[in-house]
Amino acid sequence: MRGYLFSRLRQMIPVVLGVVTVVFLLIHLIPGDPVDIMLGESALAAQKEELRRDLHLDRPVAVQYGEFLLGLSKGDLGTSFRSREPVLREILRRIPATFLLAGASMVVALLIAVPLGILSAMRQHSLVDHFSGFLAMLGLSMPNFWLGPLLILIFSLGLGLFPVSGYGTAGHLVLPAVTMGTGMAAILMRMLRSSLLEEIHQDYMRAACARGLSRRAAVLRHALANSLIPVLTVMGLQFGALLSGSIITETIFSWPGIGRLTIQAIEARDYPLVQGCILFIALCTVTVNLLTDLLYFRLDPRIRHE
Amino acid sequence: MGDVKNRFPSSLLILSIAAVFLSGCSPKPPVEDGTLVIALPGAPSNIDPRLATDAYGAQILQMTHASLIRMDAAGNPVPDLAERWEERSPTEIVVRIRDGLRFHDGRRLSSADVRYTFEWILDPANRSPHRATYEKIRAIATPDSRTVVFHLSEPFAPFLTGLVRGIVPDGSRATGYSPPIGAGPYRVDDFQQDTAIRLSRYEGYHGGAPGIERVVVKFLPDSNVRFLELKKGSVNFVLNGVDPDLIPPALENGNLVMEEAPGSNASYLGFNLRDTVLSDHRVRRAIAFAIDREAIVRTLWKGHADLADSILAPAFWAHADGIPPVRHDPFAAMRLLDEAGYRDPDGDGPKPRFRLTYKTSQNELRRQIATVIQEQLRKVGIAVEVQSFEWGTFFSDIKKGNFQLYALTWVGILDPDIYHYAFHSGQFPPRGANRGGYRNPDVDRLVEEGRREPSREKRKGLYKKVQVLLARDLPVFPLWINRNILVRDRRLSGFVITPDENYTSVKEMVILGEKGEGK
Repeated sequence: MRGYLFSRLRQMIPVVLGVVTVVFLLIHLIPGDPVDIMLGESALAAQKEELRRDLHLDRPVAVQYGEFLLGLSKGDLGTSFRSREPVLREILRRIPATFLLAGASMVVALLIAVPLGILSAMRQHSLVDHFSGFLAMLGLSMPNFWLGPLLILIFSLGLGLFPVSGYGTAGHLVLPAVTMGTGMAAILMRMLRSSLLEEIHQDYMRAACARGLSRRAAVLRHALANSLIPVLTVMGLQFGALLSGSIITETIFSWPGIGRLTIQAIEARDYPLVQGCILFIALCTVTVNLLTDLLYFRLDPRIRHE
Repeated sequence: MGDVKNRFPSSLLILSIAAVFLSGCSPKPPVEDGTLVIALPGAPSNIDPRLATDAYGAQILQMTHASLIRMDAAGNPVPDLAERWEERSPTEIVVRIRDGLRFHDGRRLSSADVRYTFEWILDPANRSPHRATYEKIRAIATPDSRTVVFHLSEPFAPFLTGLVRGIVPDGSRATGYSPPIGAGPYRVDDFQQDTAIRLSRYEGYHGGAPGIERVVVKFLPDSNVRFLELKKGSVNFVLNGVDPDLIPPALENGNLVMEEAPGSNASYLGFNLRDTVLSDHRVRRAIAFAIDREAIVRTLWKGHADLADSILAPAFWAHADGIPPVRHDPFAAMRLLDEAGYRDPDGDGPKPRFRLTYKTSQNELRRQIATVIQEQLRKVGIAVEVQSFEWGTFFSDIKKGNFQLYALTWVGILDPDIYHYAFHSGQFPPRGANRGGYRNPDVDRLVEEGRREPSREKRKGLYKKVQVLLARDLPVFPLWINRNILVRDRRLSGFVITPDENYTSVKEMVILGEKGEGK
């Protein structure tokens, strides 16, 4: 187990470095000058040159990359061009909101997906199964830019239950979490259903029932745990995506998450901040994937033995 | 198994209870608590007056930081922290500040703070984006605590507009999201990056304490959300942030009212004069004739814009009256194109006279405008390919001269010296904003005289000539000037809409009771 963990951690390093390198090159390739964006058009040419020199933008891209890696090795992500704050502080400031929304969205997704997924597998082709299939289709078809305002219209304007947008109280969290959670719930629900159906038709389930265990008990005690591996894989991937932030949901609900910060950084050609955000997103993704893999150990004894 | 069965409804029950609990018993609208809630379409990247460059930052600073002078609706300087000012000579401006001024934290505001603010901006180490504005300052003297003397290296008429800059206390460091103390009508209580800024009334403001005790400025980038917040009453003041289509439904329930006033942001169509086709002024004029601006204003802007004859708003002091308007006349356009040698190869057939590209941003309304102009130009035989880009890419192309046609808006014009910056032949990018490559020695001479001439009346005459020449040559075609639209709670009163969308008069606002009395 320990050896596996170390080997996975070693694998993470080239993945993260690869992502950061590609982003470094891409952000320097796209048109748009950060100095122009920072100083505005009316700045003096000499002033622009000074700033370019200050920010080391006058150096070859390879040198800038080397400096970036050197800073990274010391834990220094640089200073945001836009706000003049250290990039790390900018990102750390967004982490609570990002994690809160990602966690709440996952909870919403699980609250919908787990009961409906189990029910529809246990009662295949029943009304419940058809209904949950319809809900999954609905959840997948509704884009967040449409669902978000619709939820605001119903629950905020119509029923007056939640604030329209913002951040700070538990009430502010509900609508963005539901907006982000529904699509994920649909995927998890269908995944759980199909995975569970596969297990339900295994011999060990017939044997359990033959020993006198009720079908429901057999499903919940034996089949459910065995069907969780593929579900967990999807959950891990989805949670990684949630931690990368959702630009649309964060914009609609004025949520100060990492997604909005990334897009603002790209618009401002704030190279250090873009790199910092992408590094954070890459780290989140690989970490969640690693944690998912580690959970396999706990859930599947066969993997432990391998 | 029975346990499991019962767990599903109970989780739903918990959710329902949580929903009711979280709703917090639906608080009453903030206007009833004496709070003005403004929505801005974006968050400022900085709210330090020495560093802020975006419009959102500038609008917040108009409430939190006082400057030596400010501009009235016609662009005339009026006193703010300054009691008076005089030009002892064209290169020496003496400003006398008011007595008894204090910052929000109680510190006295003196001439030393004024000098510090401008010297900080001028210090290259501080990398202020506003340094160029003050490049003509040779020295700043403070003979006493209330007098500041600006010594300029040469006469520079637009210098006074540069004094619209929030003053910060001596020794204030630039610290990212923590704004320095100001002396404006409101103090900053809390700044949540990307979410909101909370302000409270500064009782010691030199112009008298503001009428409204608390102001919250929310940063809401989504126009639908701004509309929904207004409808709910959780936002009660939006200036130029409600889509024209959403204004009628916003006013439906009678809680909100709309006010409209002339604006100053001029949209224009830019031509690349280095282009073989567009270098011919007849082609540029033909394009102007072919564009039905009235139809665009009527349908896409829902009438909330005025046709422009110049990049200066009609209310601005330097605007030239009597410039002959360009009326929509497709036949005249076709005649001019024929004259210029661009005959239609197949009459009404599909072949165009020539092809052009039109660059614009990814803003939905701008793209719709581009599509309409594309269709209008097609009718006179010009094929247009519309290309829309993300802002950084679009602006980079415009600055590099990598365009044929483009549409942009001039925002925040405070002085007619903009003509030097945008049309002088020495101001090609990256030095200036003469993006189309326009050259006219007469315009060069007039704009150079204009920036040296201290007399406003004489400057007005000079810039009138400039505007007449530009209307003849059409290096850009002024399209329209958007009107400023305020949607507010009907109980809010006292805000004066200025052409430059200034928030200075927030301090004059009051919240009226149901019967119209102040609260």
